[in-house]
Amino acid sequence: MTTTTAHLTAPGHEEAAQATPSLARRTLRVFTGNKLALTGVVLLVLLLVFSYLGPLLYDTEQTHTDLSQANLSPGTDGHLLGTTDLGYDMVGRLMVAGQTSLEIGLAAGLLATLFGTVYGAVSGYFGGWVDAAMMRITDAALAIPAMFLLVVVAAIITPSKGVLILIIAAVAWLSPARLVRGEALSLRDREYVQAMRMMGGGGTRAVFKHIVPNAIGTVIVNCTFQIADAILYVSYLAFLGLSIPPPSADWGSMLSAGITYTQNGYWWLIFPPGIAIVLVVAAFNFIGDGLRDAFEVRLRK
Amino acid sequence: MTGFLVKRFLQALVVLFLVSIIVFVLLHMLPGGPARAILGPKGTPQQIEQFNHQQGYDRSLPTQYFMYLKRLLTGDLGDSYKLNSPVFELLKQRLPKTLLLTVLSTALAVVIAIPLGLLQAVRRGKASDYALTGLAFLLYATPVFFLGLIMIILFAQVLPVFPAEAPQGESIGELLKEFSGLVLPVVTMAFGIVAMFSRYMRSAVLDNLTEEYVRTAMAKGQSSRRIMVRHVLRNALIPLATLLGLYLPTLFSGALVVESMFNYPGMGLLFWNAAQGSDFPVLLGVTLVVGIATVLGSLLTDVLYAVLDPRIRSVA
Amino acid sequence: MDDREDTGGPGGTADMTEGPSSGPPAPAGEPLLRIDDLRVDITSRERTVHALDGISLDLAAGEALGVVGESGCGKTMTALSVLGLLPPGGAVTGGRILFDGRDLAAASAPALQEVRGNTVGMVFQDPLTSLNPTMTIGAQVAEPLLLHREGIGRKEARARAEEMLRLVGMPQPSERMKAYPHQLSGGMRQRVAIAMALVCEPKLLIADEPTTALDVTTQHQILELIDSLRETLGMALILVTHDLGVIANRVDRVAVMYAGKVAEQSDVRGLFARPRHRYTEALFAALPERAAERGTELHTIAGLPPSLTVRPTGCRFAPRCLFATDACREREPELIDDEDAGAGHRFACFHPVPYGDAPEEQVVTPPPATATEPGEVLLELDALVKEFPLTGGPFARRRGTVSAVGGVSLGVRRGETFGLVGESGCGKTTLGRIVAGLEQPTAGSVRFDGRDLAGLSRAERRAHRRRIQLMFQDSTAAMDPRMRVGEILREPLVIQGVGTRADQERLTAGLLDAVGLPRGAVHRYPHEFSGGQRQRLGLARALTLSPDLVVADEPVSALDVSVQAQILNLMRELQHDRGLTYLFISHDLAVIRHLADTVGVMYLGKLVETGPAEQVYAHPLHPYTRGLLDTVNVPDPAVAAAGDREPLHGETPSAAKPPSGCRFRTRCPLAQDVCATTEPPVSTPNGAGHQVACHFPLAVPRLASTV
Repeated sequence: MTTTTAHLTAPGHEEAAQATPSLARRTLRVFTGNKLALTGVVLLVLLLVFSYLGPLLYDTEQTHTDLSQANLSPGTDGHLLGTTDLGYDMVGRLMVAGQTSLEIGLAAGLLATLFGTVYGAVSGYFGGWVDAAMMRITDAALAIPAMFLLVVVAAIITPSKGVLILIIAAVAWLSPARLVRGEALSLRDREYVQAMRMMGGGGTRAVFKHIVPNAIGTVIVNCTFQIADAILYVSYLAFLGLSIPPPSADWGSMLSAGITYTQNGYWWLIFPPGIAIVLVVAAFNFIGDGLRDAFEVRLRK
Repeated sequence: MTGFLVKRFLQALVVLFLVSIIVFVLLHMLPGGPARAILGPKGTPQQIEQFNHQQGYDRSLPTQYFMYLKRLLTGDLGDSYKLNSPVFELLKQRLPKTLLLTVLSTALAVVIAIPLGLLQAVRRGKASDYALTGLAFLLYATPVFFLGLIMIILFAQVLPVFPAEAPQGESIGELLKEFSGLVLPVVTMAFGIVAMFSRYMRSAVLDNLTEEYVRTAMAKGQSSRRIMVRHVLRNALIPLATLLGLYLPTLFSGALVVESMFNYPGMGLLFWNAAQGSDFPVLLGVTLVVGIATVLGSLLTDVLYAVLDPRIRSVA
Repeated sequence: MDDREDTGGPGGTADMTEGPSSGPPAPAGEPLLRIDDLRVDITSRERTVHALDGISLDLAAGEALGVVGESGCGKTMTALSVLGLLPPGGAVTGGRILFDGRDLAAASAPALQEVRGNTVGMVFQDPLTSLNPTMTIGAQVAEPLLLHREGIGRKEARARAEEMLRLVGMPQPSERMKAYPHQLSGGMRQRVAIAMALVCEPKLLIADEPTTALDVTTQHQILELIDSLRETLGMALILVTHDLGVIANRVDRVAVMYAGKVAEQSDVRGLFARPRHRYTEALFAALPERAAERGTELHTIAGLPPSLTVRPTGCRFAPRCLFATDACREREPELIDDEDAGAGHRFACFHPVPYGDAPEEQVVTPPPATATEPGEVLLELDALVKEFPLTGGPFARRRGTVSAVGGVSLGVRRGETFGLVGESGCGKTTLGRIVAGLEQPTAGSVRFDGRDLAGLSRAERRAHRRRIQLMFQDSTAAMDPRMRVGEILREPLVIQGVGTRADQERLTAGLLDAVGLPRGAVHRYPHEFSGGQRQRLGLARALTLSPDLVVADEPVSALDVSVQAQILNLMRELQHDRGLTYLFISHDLAVIRHLADTVGVMYLGKLVETGPAEQVYAHPLHPYTRGLLDTVNVPDPAVAAAGDREPLHGETPSAAKPPSGCRFRTRCPLAQDVCATTEPPVSTPNGAGHQVACHFPLAVPRLASTV
């Protein structure tokens, strides 16, 4: 039929009558068969261990500044990766900042997914004018690029962790909303939903028994991408001048603080937080991509 | 097709209207309200009160909105109190430069992404596919300013081949004359989006490869290369038009970051500087114009898509 | 072979070293195509299927060979392997495909490309998806010429393409050259596909289910077209189909395939008159056309074809065969010449049907008498109209309406099966959905058990839902893939709040017994069942609420003949046991005839004829009914040759612009001026109960009433 490699399963000509492994196991098998997805899981676990268990093993002063210890290069005085411009140990700082980045990312990603899913499901299920109105609102919100909106907000608000989560979720909910809306729109016309209506079932049952369970794969996959994007947003916000004031830190604020020293050659202020962001965002993307493959296989039959 | 276009055009109008409302709301969220925003931090309470009365900011919100809308329609976006110039005039200078940066880097990204995505699709599941997919995700995961930083360190500091600062010419022609200065900003921005496009290309080509018309093309005796170019690539590229429209906000966001990194004299830098100096008329003016540009841009790409795809061209 | 033929293919690897070199050129007198002990494996992530396990076929130049079998038997794989177009994971593991003396199974990619579209053309099943949606049909038809005819310019190629389009019966070919596939009807698209395959005037045309996606009348026209082109161009044909009717009428020789093997091979008349293999015999017996008379039970083949992941020992049909002995289970029968019928007839069976016996008589057991006296009218439709708006979206102006159902009145009596028959787009499905309550009629009324449904209160309507249930064509789509069967079957009871959970489970278990599925099925997901089993589940679910009326919309059209027979028998049995009334919707005249007591024929939203099944089939009053009966491919070469048939011409007009007066007049051989101006009145020239809506009802009964 086509000439892609043997990875595609041969279409159709199998007997469905014989026992097949359970859906969950097949999904898991496809996921674990994906090397990138496994890499993502390993990376994420390592970063979590580093951020949360690290401080227990590697205790550093992360509240009070010590300017006499500022900008030490790696290796000096037992500072593995040197110190920051305020004299904090870099490794210890990366651990603390990692907690902030991960927590904001997870919270904002989940919040955006939750709100976006409900918004999209309502819009898609009701359809018609409700849908048209709700979708124009998301269009308008999408039309103003997130970064511009964030800068304006940064000029108005002083941030805290909670504020950051809300701001990020406020720009991030749009993509799950559109995605779930599309899903709901197609699911509500499926024959099994029609069959259910014919038995006398109503809208609530359609949404919660049929539409949401069948859209859950899309939602979960998108959620991992949302978390990745939220962590990126945290770093962009820091770059744009919107981060939680010290002594708190996240990887983004560490990176943008390091940019000031590009000319001085203080590479240890730039690369460790930068690479940490890249790794954690990539890890979530790898996982999301693996999940997408796994869920698709599950639905293919 | 006209039905589709009329519908799409009306949608864009509705969205534009909503965009203006969002900016209007932002105006009222400013500390001290619009008066403070427009008079700047030096305005006295009396001036503010007088201003509010003059401009109608003491009237009801709907009235205020309509006055705001009326001003917008005449091109009055207020005056920058940092640069002592109408925001409209500033945008007229800066917008084309941002568009130049966006177009150049998008073109570069597409040129890189198409063969890359194609290669990945053809070698699906092989080591090269995994490697390129991994690379694409790493690229996607890199904040644009970190990418720019790496570029500057590598190609302006370690190997000083390109300047770290963009050209400062007045016109587009002058910008293009100093092309080497454009290289780093354009490449940085292109790398930021190449990952998305190559992912799209990969899956679009894979989708098309499973289509039955590919089997028909094989049954005609065409070589695989010809099938790829004449059938698969063509059908995979058409939806790229809408994808570009969808990614316009991302492109503008990228331009903002890149411009402020490389000191590129576009709208993003104007915006960035305005944010540092709390120049609210500029901030809101730019936000509005970027919103309008996005809406019109995605309208344009949708029209392009309708023209390219015969199924929409003739049916809708 | 996949790897070899895909050298440089869009995803293939450059691996040209494998495989034997091409055989020596064929000596004179060799067949055009010789498939010799061909073996094909299809390897997926989870398993390897031995799709073809030693297939041998010969085809002489100019000859037409039919390859017939049920889904999964390997007939399509055989067709695809000739041109090296096997699906991903497919590979030739043994045997040769000699075409013109050249082994295509071992040929390099360039060598195969040279053959494809040039000396061998191929037509696929679905004419929409197999054409490139963004290329004009002119460019697509001209493409093979540009590839294979050196020195031919674009202009000449286009001229030849246009000529080819004219040859395949495309109206206004020069204008159509610039059209895109989606702008054409299904039949016209298949004509384009044929033009594309034949533009280089190949020696062999391979047609893989070329008419399966088409309507009866279009199907007939396409088969006629292939017939006449074969004559004009003198090419050989391999026609792959599951449809025994198509095979009976269009080929010289037939190969019957079963589970990756050829079971029987013969000239077409010999096969239909005297099948020797027990599988062929059973297949024929399962045809509703062959059921001795209406109301008898169909012969079914128990079980399912074997999974081809392991090579079965012994005869592959043995587990389902009534005549199997230990020898059948131990040794695999070879394909041998039929000593009685001559060398042209070969079969692989240890216990063949004795020569000269008529097939049905020994396997069909006389059925229990199921005839029940029809009762009072249960469902009554009165001037039912359904129109769909034709718009481009919420903002676009309304551009008219599609008249799906244009005023239909009919009555269904309690306990009977009302068969509604017609081509796709005639409104039969919409009608069924209105009756089932999935659509609201634009005008007219639905009375059920004496009450107008429009007059019901909300609560009454909810309770009423229980009494009419719908059985879908595709139970896969009609069952939530995330629910286990137990939950799916209990869902109607849960919604209607019937009984406790234990009660519901008891009822579900009983239903599974009734439809012949194990009770353990409740723990499994729908996708774990075969098509026939899923249809059983669909029926079970429709019966959960003990409805009075079941609307069955094409419930067997996706099934193989042997499975179709099982479902039809089951439906009949359940009707008898539970006193059900069926509104049975189908495009298949034979199925309707077999099952229905009363028949309604629809054309373009109108009910053109209705009456007792025997009468309508024996003496159709409407020219459309007659034409439809004459168009159907009867699985009997003798009938096809009889030649008293007058098949339908032309295409069904758009329901957005139905013809004035009688909607059939544009295709009617008897049409007069009055037909365009006046809507035909309903009359009963054949006695009460047999109604026709025609100005000139037919007076003469049909002679060949084989369908």
